Amino acid sequence: MKGIPTILITVSPEVSAQMRPPRALYPKGFKIGNSLGRPGMRDLQQKVLRGALNLLTENTRPGEVITLEYPEYGQQYDPPRVKKLG
Amino acid sequence: MTISRKCVPFTPFDRELVKSTIAIVTAGGVHLKDQEAFNIADELGDLTYREIPPDVDSSQLMVTHHHYDHSDADEDINVVFPIDVLRDLESEGFIGGIAKKHIGYMGYTMQLKAMYEGTAREIANEIDKGSRADAVVLTGG
Repeated sequence: MKGIPTILITVSPEVSAQMRPPRALYPKGFKIGNSLGRPGMRDLQQKVLRGALNLLTENTRPGEVITLEYPEYGQQYDPPRVKKLG
Repeated sequence: MTISRKCVPFTPFDRELVKSTIAIVTAGGVHLKDQEAFNIADELGDLTYREIPPDVDSSQLMVTHHHYDHSDADEDINVVFPIDVLRDLESEGFIGGIAKKHIGYMGYTMQLKAMYEGTAREIANEIDKGSRADAVVLTGG
């Protein structure tokens, strides 16, 4: 099995980081259900997808979630947090 | 082959994006309107997945998933399944092409072992054998 390169776009970076994805992008402040942005914001959706695909070609650290900012998204949301025991 | 949970299964990407074919795999519960919906009545979740063809009309896609607010995806599926956006990037020459097969499944499950050892491998095999994808974009809800 050779494997297939993947890039994850996640809006739950702490939750996703627990699974140690090979490559991952967190578009900062995007809410759950808006992985690529808001409906109809095609320019932003293209920018996020280009940003994600570019991470395939960069020297990222396996298991690390890369945060990129897209201010044109507008209102920002806090991502879900992983509850710590104890 | 069993992969350690401590291992990051990193596959190098040794191609140029402009010559690469891209597939989308989403856990966001996306499927064609004429495909069987995911079973949201089962509290354990649904371990099945749906194949989505590359020439799909995005207006024929829908979401069945009860663990996130998909009202925005109902309005524009590209917010979780960016098939039209991928077409844009192909048109502008950013990527080489769109894979022959894409996958939607419902990421919520209480059957983690079956998802990890069964469904995930089946999806990987679908992409590996039938899609001609050089890389995969993964999205959740």
